[in-house]
Amino acid sequence: MSAKRIRFIVIILALAVLLTTPLWASRYVVNVWSLICIYAALASMWNLLAGYSGMISLGQQMFIGLGGYTLAVLSVYYGLPISLSVLLGGMISVILAVLISLPIFRMKGVYFAIGTWIIAEALGICFSNWGYVRYGMGMFIQPAYKLSMSSIYYAAVIICIGSIALVYLLLRSNLGLALMAIRDDDVASEAVGVNIFRCKFTCFLISAFVTGIAAGILYLNAIFIQPFEAFGIGWTVKLLFIVIIGGIGTVEGPIAGAIIFVFLQQYLSEYVGFNLIIFGTIAIMVIFFAPKGIVGTFQNKFGVELFPVRRQ
Amino acid sequence: MIQFLEPIINGILLGGLYAVVGIGLSVIFGIMRQVNLAHGELMILASYFSLLTLQLLGLHPLLTFLLVLPAMFIFGYLIQTFLFNRVMGKGMEPFLMISFGLSIILQNALLLIFTPDARSLKSSLVIQSLNVYGLFHVPLIYIVNCAVSILVIGLLHQFMKRTYLGWAISASAEDLSAAKLMGINPKRVYALAMGIAAVTAAISGVLVGMTFTFYPHSGTQYLIIAFGVVIIGGLGSLPGTFVGGLILGISQLVGGRIIGPGFQLLSGYIILLVVLTIRPQGILGRG
Repeated sequence: MSAKRIRFIVIILALAVLLTTPLWASRYVVNVWSLICIYAALASMWNLLAGYSGMISLGQQMFIGLGGYTLAVLSVYYGLPISLSVLLGGMISVILAVLISLPIFRMKGVYFAIGTWIIAEALGICFSNWGYVRYGMGMFIQPAYKLSMSSIYYAAVIICIGSIALVYLLLRSNLGLALMAIRDDDVASEAVGVNIFRCKFTCFLISAFVTGIAAGILYLNAIFIQPFEAFGIGWTVKLLFIVIIGGIGTVEGPIAGAIIFVFLQQYLSEYVGFNLIIFGTIAIMVIFFAPKGIVGTFQNKFGVELFPVRRQ
Repeated sequence: MIQFLEPIINGILLGGLYAVVGIGLSVIFGIMRQVNLAHGELMILASYFSLLTLQLLGLHPLLTFLLVLPAMFIFGYLIQTFLFNRVMGKGMEPFLMISFGLSIILQNALLLIFTPDARSLKSSLVIQSLNVYGLFHVPLIYIVNCAVSILVIGLLHQFMKRTYLGWAISASAEDLSAAKLMGINPKRVYALAMGIAAVTAAISGVLVGMTFTFYPHSGTQYLIIAFGVVIIGGLGSLPGTFVGGLILGISQLVGGRIIGPGFQLLSGYIILLVVLTIRPQGILGRG
């Protein structure tokens, strides 16, 4: 039972540090940590699709853009409270996910990946040609200026803890069992009564909802939204990097990946031009030398898991 | 009706160019069942390489093929040997990740060397156009693009059908373990296939460079076009790639004429999604 106790202490300590950060840390540290939290939430939603449900989506940016634009439009044009605008961003992402699910679930593997990407690109073009959201010039989210640094930080912490807890609980539920059965052998799992479509559809909707909300918090921090950036493939590339570096198909992977990604981004920002070359090199090296990511390799070696999803 | 003749004719010619853009992606998918995210960057790398030889030697852009194509073949052979061959048979994600890593390395290396300025491969072809019965104009470069495209696809088809190497490539794509038993070394076959894909990327890169302006970041834009082409036609099918190119080219230009030039790309994507919904394996794909 000592492993369980250590796990408990680690989680409590991490939570205590996270929740008290604005009291003792500088604005810079608080900002970096909120970025880590938001990226961890976004990455664990991509991980839920790619790592557990076998849906490699290259189109997460459609929910990021939609969440951001919902926040911008509702808070700037309609004066809605920010928290409500962020939540509605998640709802609208879910509506989009439902609308596209009919065609998108007919596609498999590579076709699914490319289909999702094309939808995101199409949305980007629509928004950049839409006068209501000021075309490609983008929108300033002025109401976000009024928020304090620490309230954005706590929103980021909540979405981070919420999304990781959600993934953990999902995987411990019957749905998690079904997902693992599908991953291991989809034909056999269907034969014993697993409804593959319903499992994948549920994951897709959850992923859309949380991604939409996390994107709202992201744009509270960024304040400015522009269609080709918000709906750009760059987002999914970042999430892919975070999840693969951290460890695909592990609950802790996106957290570790997000920490590494944000720190690298901060340190390498001095070396303009070289930073992305270094990112690319790191990505390739990790695939060669630690193909299961940092967390996956660590778990294989020491057999320690922070969030074990298997039942003992 | 007559006002749609121009976008249809130009769309067909543009579609020819798109077919060459997509063919390398299709070849790699057909042979290795993998998606090369660095395909667009291979194209743009060739565009810059052509620009360099053009500036140093003062050649016509089409003549730079003589230097660019062998160089890109070697480049493709090397990246397959040293990077991609190490993750073959380990599923989709490692290959995606390595090709993505390669694409951002190439993109940013080009940015460092050539600055973000717009470039083009200048020749007299760009400014000339053909007047069709006084009804509309067809840019000469579009005709050159389409002719080169038909030539490349025809040659590739013959190569796969008639040469020993072509048979070895099709055999490894068809049944890898049986091909190994027949004495085919798959790693070498894959390296040669990537070399060939890089050559087709280089051809499309030079043509694109002659037709439009390009930047170090242009690769992503052409990667989407390449995806569109091979998805509409069916991944891994050569004739399908040509059909896919035509459909994408026509739907872009006709859609642009109906809705407005800002929606040119969008109408292409909509056709793409419609095709994917009705036939998820593409028009000529085998499922």
